[in-house]
Amino acid sequence: MAEKVVLDQAAMQRALTRITYEILERNKGGQDLILVGVKTRGEFLAQRIANRLEQLEQVQIPVMAIDITNYRDDRLHEEDNFGLNPDETVNIIDQKIVLVDDVLYTGRTTRAALDALIQIGRPQAISLAVLVDRGHRELPIRADFVGKNIPTAQTEKIRVLVEEVDGRDAVEITN
Amino acid sequence: MTRHLILEDGTVFAGEGFGSPATTFGEIIFDTAMVGYQETITNPIYDGQMIVFAMPVVGADGIHAEAYESIAPKVRGVIVHDLAEVSTNRQRRMNLDRFLKQHNVPGICQVDTRQLIRHLRETGPQKATIVDVVDDHAFDQLNATVLTNKQVQNTATPKAYANPGHGFHIIVIDFGLKHGILRILGEYDANVTVLPYSTTVDEVLTLDPDGIILSTGPGNPEDLPESVLTLIRVLQTKAPLLGVGLGHELFALANGASLQALPAEYHGMNHPIQEIISQQIFYARQGRGYVVDWHSLNANKLFATHRDLVDDSIQGLRHRDFPAFSVQFFPDGAPGPLEASVIITDFFETVADYVQESN
Repeated sequence: MAEKVVLDQAAMQRALTRITYEILERNKGGQDLILVGVKTRGEFLAQRIANRLEQLEQVQIPVMAIDITNYRDDRLHEEDNFGLNPDETVNIIDQKIVLVDDVLYTGRTTRAALDALIQIGRPQAISLAVLVDRGHRELPIRADFVGKNIPTAQTEKIRVLVEEVDGRDAVEITN
Repeated sequence: MTRHLILEDGTVFAGEGFGSPATTFGEIIFDTAMVGYQETITNPIYDGQMIVFAMPVVGADGIHAEAYESIAPKVRGVIVHDLAEVSTNRQRRMNLDRFLKQHNVPGICQVDTRQLIRHLRETGPQKATIVDVVDDHAFDQLNATVLTNKQVQNTATPKAYANPGHGFHIIVIDFGLKHGILRILGEYDANVTVLPYSTTVDEVLTLDPDGIILSTGPGNPEDLPESVLTLIRVLQTKAPLLGVGLGHELFALANGASLQALPAEYHGMNHPIQEIISQQIFYARQGRGYVVDWHSLNANKLFATHRDLVDDSIQGLRHRDFPAFSVQFFPDGAPGPLEASVIITDFFETVADYVQESN
């Protein structure tokens, strides 16, 4: 099982920095912006982007986490559960949402996240930021902000590690 | 042979001549870096200037082929405390004295450079001359000297040329390019075309660039024609753009900011630079006589990305609407720390994004 680090900590930080600059550029500043991180890793990435925006613009951007377990298309829906914890939920109506995830692969996670979001309100727009785009899409979804494009074989696995959960920052590829 | 350094304010320093025995005039500035005298002497940003080195011994590495920042030095004089005649560097083929003789650049050593630099910190840059005899004639000559403000014209290429590679097509607009920029683009195997600064928008766009670099250069950016700023205003909307040194100052001017002349120019590599977004600190070679005024930043166009933690000057800018950014310091590490080269990495990642999106 060969493991290869494709992004080390410094490269990962720089990728997030670049995504932040691009979000500012596309959004014309930080107004009406909400970052929504897809649990688990995406939540921490969203928080880091928010911290960067705060350093640059002195604005606090709301960050929400979204749990898409109940919206996955490979499971039967047992109960009508929102993916968002009501305590953390911010009003997303007419806001500009940036959905943040660690890896974009088939696009099915993103679709589930979109469903979860739209159930709680109608945002003005939703864009997608991912740290890694590994290709092999199965749905018509593409990312607006990509940290790193990593072409992969479908047999390979991409692991995004974040310090908050995994104790270190890295993106690794295994086959 | 005893020679003299005379400053415009009347201060005289005696020393030993080396290099060319000619009489020379120029604007005197000082460099506090401990390494890289050859890169500094050959850097075209010093066109028309005389450099005082704070490093007490200069010349111990000799002169070697990989450390040139231009084909021939543009400095008008080199002022050092001790000139090293002996070198322990096995690559040395030539010493500083002979190099300066060949290029007709006068030098003076055995000067009390500590006192001189303290003096210059207070007075700022001024005219100076290196002469054999201190008399009224020497002062008259110095006072009558008008220094050029055409440094970019003196150093920048008058004609376009290519430095081919297999990677992204990068256009470099030359304002007095240092070789370090071409060297670091070569590391990315970029397909480089260098254009003169008098180039037009059409000439650039016809070449279909993947990215554009505004090079380093000498002198006061405000002495350049308005057409350069117009060029930048159009190009920044067309492809990813990176400004370095003078290129950064021009990028700022083009977007409505204004510049301040520093009371004493800063040439060195000991100021910590902070990347504002990540709060990370790094070091880089700097060489600047001007900085962008914080208060002049038009918040709808530009925001600061880097700042100097010693004098709080702006060290990096970014455009709000386009993938265009700039740094005041030199990211090529020639001479100096290499850690700032991530700026070039960021530039190429931005270029890769742009190319992918436009396909």
